[in-house]
Amino acid sequence: MPDLWLYVKAMVSAAAVSALCVLATVVVRRKTDRSWLNTACVSGIGFGLAVGCGVLSLLPVWPPANGLDRFLTVLVPAVLSIELLAGIQRVPLSFLWALRIGLATAAPLILLYGSVYLSGFDNDWPLRRTSTVMAACSALLTGVWALLGRLAQRSPGVSIPFAVCLTTQCAGLTVMMAGYIKGGAAALLLVAVLLATIIAARLMARRFGEVAENCTLATLGVGVVSLFGVLFIGRFFGRLSTGSALIMLLAPLICWATELPQLRHRKPWVVGWLRITLVSVPLVFVLVEAKRDFVRDMAPLLGQGEPATIELTAQAGDRTAGSGEAAFP
Amino acid sequence: MRRMFSVWVLTLVVGIAVCAGEQSAIAADEYDYDLVHSSVGFKARHLGISWIHGRFNDVSGKFSLDRQQPSKSTFKLTIKADSVDTANKARDEHLRQPDYFDTKQYPTIEFKSTSTKVIEGGYEVTGDFTMHGTTQKVTIVLMGGKEHDFKGTKRVAFSTELALKRSDYGFDKRAIGPIGDKALIFIDCEGVRK
Repeated sequence: MPDLWLYVKAMVSAAAVSALCVLATVVVRRKTDRSWLNTACVSGIGFGLAVGCGVLSLLPVWPPANGLDRFLTVLVPAVLSIELLAGIQRVPLSFLWALRIGLATAAPLILLYGSVYLSGFDNDWPLRRTSTVMAACSALLTGVWALLGRLAQRSPGVSIPFAVCLTTQCAGLTVMMAGYIKGGAAALLLVAVLLATIIAARLMARRFGEVAENCTLATLGVGVVSLFGVLFIGRFFGRLSTGSALIMLLAPLICWATELPQLRHRKPWVVGWLRITLVSVPLVFVLVEAKRDFVRDMAPLLGQGEPATIELTAQAGDRTAGSGEAAFP
Repeated sequence: MRRMFSVWVLTLVVGIAVCAGEQSAIAADEYDYDLVHSSVGFKARHLGISWIHGRFNDVSGKFSLDRQQPSKSTFKLTIKADSVDTANKARDEHLRQPDYFDTKQYPTIEFKSTSTKVIEGGYEVTGDFTMHGTTQKVTIVLMGGKEHDFKGTKRVAFSTELALKRSDYGFDKRAIGPIGDKALIFIDCEGVRK
């Protein structure tokens, strides 16, 4: 069973390291610029995550042995590197998007490497089916990443990475309730570091009179890839249903609803709250369903299933005995 | 005449080679794991007060017994981790998850012998035991080995017990939780001669 105190400790440590990293980097420089703030955010996420993984004993091995290891040692560092590059002004945007699309294309292959899906061990997963599913997943990741990035440029605000964090938190809890505790725990850590980084960067940007939109874009990229990774390993290695995974991956796109003409020109905090509220709606449904499935699956393991069955049988037996028919033992 | 002599020599060489091959094949008897008359079971502590019993329903294997040179005998067993059965569907599903067997990443549990020694009543077999992606050298004592002819089919049977720590095979220490680290594995297998 998960140790809640340990998770709280890991999340707080990871968040503290991320925030301190951002604050220290910016304070040392005594001013913020686009590239410096971006570097502070990306390094904050990386160091915070490493500390959190250490507290949770989630430190991956090399070469990575399973989906979660590959997620933490290959995919997350890859997206951090891309977002680090994004802070350098001389790097053309088209090159950055080529790297992002390349990562999105490779992500399913990285996560499924060496598993029954690619080894041909599982007859239910012939190569053609696996290739189709991987292509669809890559397209989904690219689409969500591009659409959220476009929205962040069109209507900036921390509400978009917050919505991604909220969804990742929901994904982590759902994956945990589906029986994959370590996969869910990784998601909780990622949420802690992303939130701490966003808040610290926001504070620093205000302090030095700069906008923190670059940090928003960096955390958004890491957040989207993290959300995808957690859902992907939860679906293909755990027991997360395809429906729940798709709802959670697409949920942050509801933020686009605030681009409707009636809502677009509202105050920024109204737009922000609206985005978070709208994204929360499908997530609540997913969580309720996951909790129901969890209670149903755990009941027999905790000895709560059998007594109910016996009681029902006894009642049925009483009734049939009363009606004069033979009752089954 | 010369051509006839060449053909005769060639026939002789081929004949000797075939006979030699047959000789070695006869020396080592090949058996297939008989799933119907065999079982791989296990038990592990629950809360330190009782035992949970389970079995693996999908197992295959081969063994080759060399009666004249027993050290040349080999044993190989492959267990499909997905076939774990503890008489509780919810628990079986839980055991297939990445926190336990991670059957999508590590679909099989395997034993492959590397050396065999004859002991009284059986064999002492050392080999590589691979579970959860981790390989450890283990030595098991296989008791049995007597051949029985049943309706024209030759059968041979072995039994063994093996104790191992799940933490030695990369299982998450926190996921070990209420189910003890130590697991006992019981293998009773019958081989059918090819």
